[in-house]
Amino acid sequence: MPLPDRPIFGCEWNRNRLDCVLLGMKLNMPLVTLLAGLALGVGVLIVSMLGPSSAASASGYGATSTASATGAVKPAPASSASGGGASAAAPATTPASTPATTPASTPATTSTTAPAITSTTAPATAPGTVPAATASVPTADIPPKADYVARTNSGGGAVAISVHAGKAVAYMCNGHAVAAWLKGTAKAGKLELTGKNGARLDVSYRTGKATGSIMADGTKYSFSAPLVHRGSSGHRPPGLYEATATVHGVKIKAGWVVLPGGGQVGSVEYFADSDVAPTAQAPVLNLTTGTAQYDGVTLVASLISGLTGSGF
Amino acid sequence: MTAQPDASPPAPVDVSLGIGKLVVPSLIGGLVALTLGIYGRLHHPTGVVENLAGFTSAGYAKSWLATIATVFAIVQVSSALVMYGKIPRVTAPSWIGSLHKWSGRIAFLLAVPVAVDCLYGLGFQTYSTRVLLHSVFGCLFFGAFSVKMLILPKRGLPGWTLPVAGAAVFTLLVAIWFTSAFWFFSTFGLHR
Repeated sequence: MPLPDRPIFGCEWNRNRLDCVLLGMKLNMPLVTLLAGLALGVGVLIVSMLGPSSAASASGYGATSTASATGAVKPAPASSASGGGASAAAPATTPASTPATTPASTPATTSTTAPAITSTTAPATAPGTVPAATASVPTADIPPKADYVARTNSGGGAVAISVHAGKAVAYMCNGHAVAAWLKGTAKAGKLELTGKNGARLDVSYRTGKATGSIMADGTKYSFSAPLVHRGSSGHRPPGLYEATATVHGVKIKAGWVVLPGGGQVGSVEYFADSDVAPTAQAPVLNLTTGTAQYDGVTLVASLISGLTGSGF
Repeated sequence: MTAQPDASPPAPVDVSLGIGKLVVPSLIGGLVALTLGIYGRLHHPTGVVENLAGFTSAGYAKSWLATIATVFAIVQVSSALVMYGKIPRVTAPSWIGSLHKWSGRIAFLLAVPVAVDCLYGLGFQTYSTRVLLHSVFGCLFFGAFSVKMLILPKRGLPGWTLPVAGAAVFTLLVAIWFTSAFWFFSTFGLHR
């Protein structure tokens, strides 16, 4: 309750403008705006920093990703698995002049660090989501040993499918936040592949080409992938590469689709065993050495090839 | 340079002195842009942002926030044009200043969480022209905005400084929107 003559802090309307006063001094409102933005940004950043460590595998991310973006709620830190250290719902201290920025409807509170995955983490369009969906190809015969790679028709991604002796692996990533591994069988000309988060593959096989679409993270990417032929030079051949490692205590899994001509698209998943693995751009895979440098750790990539059977 | 007498920026008394007042705000703005860019480059992006609820949901949230911010920015620049008497046959109503300020504040505060998510989750990336431009514009925007906020209360600046700063901020925001939300919507559709 500020005193009328010397308010500690207060704002009032004056001829259509908002004037704020702190300790009797009139505030520089543009500076207040800047500082409000800074405070909001720092708040969001802190929430983001706390979020991945504690909640990346423990979910809590609601349908509105803005739960972390708006900075309304701080999840409990990861280390506070000890009793009681639950959901500290501390509203970010955004000044009164931030009317439109707090639509955080789903608090990202996590009361435990146990990887209790909720189904809300899956994309909204994949009903049922987390349980894997299956895909099948009714027609044509998939060759018993084959590799396909191609860029997707949209979204800047790439897809790889490897078939070997009744087994099949498919991978799709966009060199960014989208990555999906699918595994399964190739029986009687049909691919039955399953993946996390509703990942599914619909493919039809034509001579020397696999055409279809792959659903990853709720988005459908279509592709038309030619058969991969063995490379000739000393370079690593086009195909599907994977590498796993533990970096700073976090299990990561990188996947690269190496295209004919040397292009590559790779993504790396953190907390690779969790159902909802945060994903980002993978480091460049050196096609001469077959390795990549990631935060000082050398990732050794192995080829998953249906032709040779490596990786199966 | 052609501010109307009733517009808020005062007429310059001593131009050289006025320009001198731009130095510190410009340095700070440059520092802001550089800090954001360097952070985005050095910090290893977590990718968490776009993976929160799948690529699309978080992408949609950010794209819509950015779109709303851009709409407020359009209100901002339009109100500035009215204040400066640049719209024929429109006289500035008394509330135009408030509209200008609040649309700007809202636009800025909407952009902040999007930018933090981008920088923290995705980082300063260069893997395509769009992404490179977006990263550069994003950093420059907050630098330019800081400059504008810092020179706003200063008196005795040349009349062109605020319009130039405002135009730069607005242009950058629209460029950011085109290289992100517009691309996102045109790639994935308006909703799903």
